[in-house]
Amino acid sequence: MEEKEKSSEESVKWYSYVALILAIVFFSGVFATSKEWWSVFDFTVLNGAFGKLPVAGAKAMTFRGAGGSGGADGFLFALSLMPAVILALGVVSVVEGLGGLRAAQKLMTPLLKPLLGIPGICGLGMIASFQSTDAGAGMAKELYQENMITDDEKTIFCMFQISADGTITNYFSSGVALFGALLTPIIVPFAVMIIFKIVGANLLRLYIKYVNKKEQNAINAGE
Amino acid sequence: MTTTEAQNIKAHVSKPNVLDMFVAGARRGFTIGTTNMMPNVIMAFVIIKALDVTGLLKLFGIIFKPVMGLWGLPGESVTVLVSAFLSMGGGVGAAAGLLTSNMLSRSDITILMPAIYLIGSLVQYLGRCLGTAEVNTRYYIPIIAICIINALLAMWVMKALVAFF
Repeated sequence: MEEKEKSSEESVKWYSYVALILAIVFFSGVFATSKEWWSVFDFTVLNGAFGKLPVAGAKAMTFRGAGGSGGADGFLFALSLMPAVILALGVVSVVEGLGGLRAAQKLMTPLLKPLLGIPGICGLGMIASFQSTDAGAGMAKELYQENMITDDEKTIFCMFQISADGTITNYFSSGVALFGALLTPIIVPFAVMIIFKIVGANLLRLYIKYVNKKEQNAINAGE
Repeated sequence: MTTTEAQNIKAHVSKPNVLDMFVAGARRGFTIGTTNMMPNVIMAFVIIKALDVTGLLKLFGIIFKPVMGLWGLPGESVTVLVSAFLSMGGGVGAAAGLLTSNMLSRSDITILMPAIYLIGSLVQYLGRCLGTAEVNTRYYIPIIAICIINALLAMWVMKALVAFF
């Protein structure tokens, strides 16, 4: 396990932090309305837009048209989202490949104990859960089986995971459908989700503390 | 083959370049898009259509107006949260469908966005997350309750934040 930790630390290079920062900027939308060259660092700018079809006597529209409904409209709508989903997950993959997520893990690890009351070793599982529900849950189970975390810590860790699970993968695939409608930068709802994942884990932490205390009292009373 | 050559090949195999990384991710995006997002969005659009045709959507709008009004949302928005509980993609699709038919505004969508994920796909994730990690079943109900609390609180936070943009 020590070796594993060492190798994951080694692979966090300077460019991993650059990749992480660029990714945050890229999805934040801060350059979305910029007309300068640095607008290249923006998701919506690079995703571009479909061409418009001219309609006689009406406003030009995309291939989705107007006034559609039901499954047919849903299909064309979903089709119109494909480029954004492909681009978003392509970029996430580059950030991951350059070690950007491991950089995030390194930055998060010392915060786990104070923020969630779980050991720093959960950092890898936490980053995995941002990408895949199944991977995150599997790693929580493994840490428990190897006696790295207690049963209560595992439960708190899973509470953190399950609310908005697979955060990055889900938000940047299905969420893309609503990016265009958001009034805030794309990153704002994402940050709110992360904050509430932490809030939720702490609510369960308090609940577990309460349950354990009650049980302890019951045992003491029994004696 | 010398050792260096072997090492070089190994390094090449284990370290794909940025373009390869992008294409691999993009391929995953295409797969998730076609096999997950698209069916979920179509399902949500069909549900919204069915609710609309039967008049249930209007009824939901009236029944849930006082509850959803707490967040300044129209009653119809409850369909977004219920669909999200079943699947995240469905919740997003329902929101997009209601936006298209002008039943939800852009501000409503912004308020709902984090909530869709915070209670998203819970039906599936009970098995895929809690089941896989073998979490004690006595914590299932508190965990579901906290997910719902998370979503409801997040809608208030987003409502406050929207005012700044």
